[in-house]
Amino acid sequence: MTANSRIWHLVLILAIFSAPLVIMYVYQVIDSIAQPDPGSLVPGAIDLSNWRFLWERIDTGRPSIWVVTFNTFLFASTTAFLVTSLSATAGYALSRLNMPGRPYFLGGLIILHAFPTITLIIAIFIILQFLGLFDTLLGIILVKAALELPFGVWILKGFYDTVPWEIEMAGVQDGASRLRVWWELVLPQVKPGLFALLIISFLSGWSEFVLPLVLAPGSSTQVLATFMNAVIQDDATADFGLFKAIGMFYSIPVIVIYLVFQKQLMNIYGGGTKG
Amino acid sequence: MTSRMLGIGFLTPAIISVAIFFLLPVLLTVVFAFTNMSTSTGIMGGDYQINSEQLRSVSEIGISEESVELLENAGFQITEAGLTALAEQFGDETAEELREDYLGETFTARRDLERVLRNLDEPIRQTRDRKTAADLFAVTIIGERFDTESQFRAALEKTGVDPVDHDTLTEFAYTGWTWTTDNFSLLLELPSTLRFAANSAFYVVCTLTFNIVFGLFLALSTFYLPSKTANTFRAIWFLPRILPPVLYVLMWNWFTWDNGFIATVTGWFGVPPQNWMMQTTTRAWTVVILINGFVGASLGMILFSSAIKAIPTSMLYASEVDGANRWQQVRYIILPQMRWPILFMTSYQTLSLLTSFEYILLATDGGPGRSTEVWALAAYHTALNNYGGNLQYGLGSAYALVLVFIGIALSALYLRFFNFKELLAKPRIEQ
Amino acid sequence: MANLTRTTALIGALAGLATTAMAEDVTITVWAGGSNDSDSYRIEAIEIAADILEREAAIMGDELNITVEGRRDFTGWDEFKQGITLGAEAGTAPSIVVTSHLDIAPWSQAGYIVPVEDYVDLDSWPLNNIYPNLMEIASYAGTQWGIPQDAESRPFFFWRETLEAIGYSEDQIDALPDMVASGEYTLQNVLEDATKAVEMGVVEEGYGFYPRVSNGPDYAQFYQSFGGVLMDPDTGKLVLDKTAMTEFYQFFVDAVAAGVTRQNHIGTDWNQWYTEVANGRAAFWHGGTWHFGRYATEGNDDFWGTIQFSLIPAGNDAGRANTITHPLVYLVMDQEDDRVEEIAAQLIAIASEPRLNSLHAIQSNHLAVAQAQSDIDLYRGDRWASEATEVLLASATSQPNHLQYGAFSEAMFRGLEAAWSGVQTPEEAVAEVEAQMRATLGDDLIVR
Repeated sequence: MTANSRIWHLVLILAIFSAPLVIMYVYQVIDSIAQPDPGSLVPGAIDLSNWRFLWERIDTGRPSIWVVTFNTFLFASTTAFLVTSLSATAGYALSRLNMPGRPYFLGGLIILHAFPTITLIIAIFIILQFLGLFDTLLGIILVKAALELPFGVWILKGFYDTVPWEIEMAGVQDGASRLRVWWELVLPQVKPGLFALLIISFLSGWSEFVLPLVLAPGSSTQVLATFMNAVIQDDATADFGLFKAIGMFYSIPVIVIYLVFQKQLMNIYGGGTKG
Repeated sequence: MTSRMLGIGFLTPAIISVAIFFLLPVLLTVVFAFTNMSTSTGIMGGDYQINSEQLRSVSEIGISEESVELLENAGFQITEAGLTALAEQFGDETAEELREDYLGETFTARRDLERVLRNLDEPIRQTRDRKTAADLFAVTIIGERFDTESQFRAALEKTGVDPVDHDTLTEFAYTGWTWTTDNFSLLLELPSTLRFAANSAFYVVCTLTFNIVFGLFLALSTFYLPSKTANTFRAIWFLPRILPPVLYVLMWNWFTWDNGFIATVTGWFGVPPQNWMMQTTTRAWTVVILINGFVGASLGMILFSSAIKAIPTSMLYASEVDGANRWQQVRYIILPQMRWPILFMTSYQTLSLLTSFEYILLATDGGPGRSTEVWALAAYHTALNNYGGNLQYGLGSAYALVLVFIGIALSALYLRFFNFKELLAKPRIEQ
Repeated sequence: MANLTRTTALIGALAGLATTAMAEDVTITVWAGGSNDSDSYRIEAIEIAADILEREAAIMGDELNITVEGRRDFTGWDEFKQGITLGAEAGTAPSIVVTSHLDIAPWSQAGYIVPVEDYVDLDSWPLNNIYPNLMEIASYAGTQWGIPQDAESRPFFFWRETLEAIGYSEDQIDALPDMVASGEYTLQNVLEDATKAVEMGVVEEGYGFYPRVSNGPDYAQFYQSFGGVLMDPDTGKLVLDKTAMTEFYQFFVDAVAAGVTRQNHIGTDWNQWYTEVANGRAAFWHGGTWHFGRYATEGNDDFWGTIQFSLIPAGNDAGRANTITHPLVYLVMDQEDDRVEEIAAQLIAIASEPRLNSLHAIQSNHLAVAQAQSDIDLYRGDRWASEATEVLLASATSQPNHLQYGAFSEAMFRGLEAAWSGVQTPEEAVAEVEAQMRATLGDDLIVR
């Protein structure tokens, strides 16, 4: 009995602390489809006009939402693929392969892992410009992938570390090359890790704001983050209903991924940073 | 294939990409911090020019009076040499006409000479061509842009300026960036430096405290709740971590702005609508810390939750059998086990909080009155983003360099701290 | 017969010439900063100009295809300038930019822009019809870098009803602009009247004086109101007048202390600001001439019956009533292909036709750049355009095109922000501004 009431206390306290977030979430949805009148919090009539950005341009000066969405998807998925595949090889090398300078790579990795990245943006700009990749999607994809790599390698190294040596021993004794052993025996063992990393880097790319803002300012390279921010900042329209509708649209993939992979996500965020 | 070769092959793509977009930028940041690079110097090197504005201060760099005068009055002179060149490019008639009326004359402004060329009986019709033609008579270097030093020096020669002044003038005329340590003395001099540093320290300490205390609270409370309830709360607190920052901050804006949630609710009690984010410094800080704190707390929650789960249940049962209440259980069993996760969280988040500015940029942009301008944001504003478009890459890099140093120092420290040797267990297959 | 064949042959030759002449395809990109829907003619005028230039070329027998790609969806001036600067460094800069004239100095120094005078004849139509003072503002160090795209000014506004409520007669309100211009009505009077309006409950606290919510040229006007000078005409150096700066900051601090201006005013949402000033929530404010159109969209159909406007009043005896015009200019950016620069410059010249420019002026409530525009019905018929020109533009000054002006104005605003929000006292703020300016401007600064 007492335990139960104590639990209710706990729930109450938690609920109070969570209230701001819950209110934000709830009105995020309500405002996008049934915005209350000013000064009231009661939802108004259902009104889909906030979603007009899907079929018309909110301002003739802006690119179509679908182009922007495509860019975002391309950016996020390519980044995720790059990060995952490069981490899959590099993580294996650091976890299992004996080679010169391995301790230094590992040490360097840890330093990079915890290193300020965004402060380097000025210098990164110069490099992109030398490569002729400034203001291109490819440019920000490469940068984003590189900045995510230390994290990815670190996570996958962790996964490789847990694969029993016996599996590889068996493969090698059968006469397979290390490459084949990796591809056929080890890689399937770390599938959950690969998958989680793929999702995390996708989410991270999907959310990225500063890199596209600075390194790809052109209209043809807009992503949803910069698009949405520009709409919000534009002083010709102040329409939280519209902003929130765009926000809803923007967050759909995030919510879907979250609902489907909730457990894996929690695990990876929890385990990945065990240091 | 030996494991060594395979290892190198496997590592190379990652190393190349990290080297280009990570290590090289670090090096470049160091380099830039020692330059006066800005919008007006450009990044890619410069040209040579002295324009009429610069001419006004040219006497301050130790050039003789005569030289200044020569520079000032050189103008465009109709000489035989120029006329010959003109005849070659634009025809004898034009040149002849100009010779008859203007030989020996000097025009101070190119515009005047161009007008003459336009109004000849055999005029030069295209604006571009008139420029080219007028340049054939140029003695002056004022307002002309030279791509290379030798071109500039050659032109200087023509003006008749005393050769002793050439070096000074050439240096003066260079529009590109130069090496300097001024950025660091500037940082030491500016009163704002200390404020930005203090802001950063305040921000990191407060946010970190919030992250850890609240993250722990979340982890502990959800641990004791029935799993369904716990999962609901976990879900609520996990979302800020994965929602795009632009959207997450928009929700906060809605929550705190004049026409937003707090203002509406307080409005019912007669409080005039006001911006609960930007009204005062205290509020701005509160919101900034909460925005970042909620995201950080969700990381803390996940991290600590998994650490609590790792505690052997037998320990917990044993304590309950001993009659310990929940609080004692937390205090004596769980918290001691949390030491390492907390330490990790502290070290990891210190760095990322110190260097990230995305949420602050989106929420307050350092306002009101620059009171929430943290060091990293100041670096961004200085180097890349301000109303005047006055981008000071050099100074901005100096700001960034400070963070780079702190980053390296702290990481190296953590490296010693978190048992590095353990990570270095030798691979067991040797080939 | 022979004659006929000769003619046919000639026509054939001409036709052959025309078809064999290389068709030339040029893409012109135009980026316009600070522009929303009503400023669309900043880009569309270039599109119309492209059509005209293509036709001109066709008559000359050349096939010229110009594709104009416009862009104006920037988050703000900060991002716009960031994009242009980095783009110019990377060689991906647009061919034409519409931006503040203040960018001319640094961008020409950096080699990002090319002088428009190298490509078009300034002595011929329509460029010879543009107001000389505006042309001057678009030039730097004796070179004509750009062509003014529009003109405006940043007047002071009064809400008539509020003034009546605190005891002004209609005649007195009508006479206000003249009193401001002559220096009889000063910022101190503004403060008194605003305080009265707040105390009498005509406007809410914090709404007596409701200034611009972000950094902008507007604030330099208040510096001038207190006798501040931006640039020393003799030496071409920027001037920090400490007394004027302190009093300028003090005015805003006083306004906060009197409860007529909010301490956290800077950073207020622009939309909220527009709605409030357009509907009489504020007693006094200052804004831009182009806000005229915005007031109507915010639901105020009767500008002339509800709002009075004037120069920014003088602050004290040292200063004077003034206003700053901050024209945007068309600039040609440095391109790899010289031909693109040339066409870009020609397009700018054509887009400066009075008729084309009037489209922008009237649609966006800006002022004319050329004299002939007052003869165009569209422009002449617009009461706001003509009255604003008369009251404001005659005494409008501009900020100096100076390499370091960006740093100067940034420091000035940061100081104001610090004093206004109470982080520092005006004296402390000025001391910090001085330190900042001495350090960043060095020899380019005169401190008084």
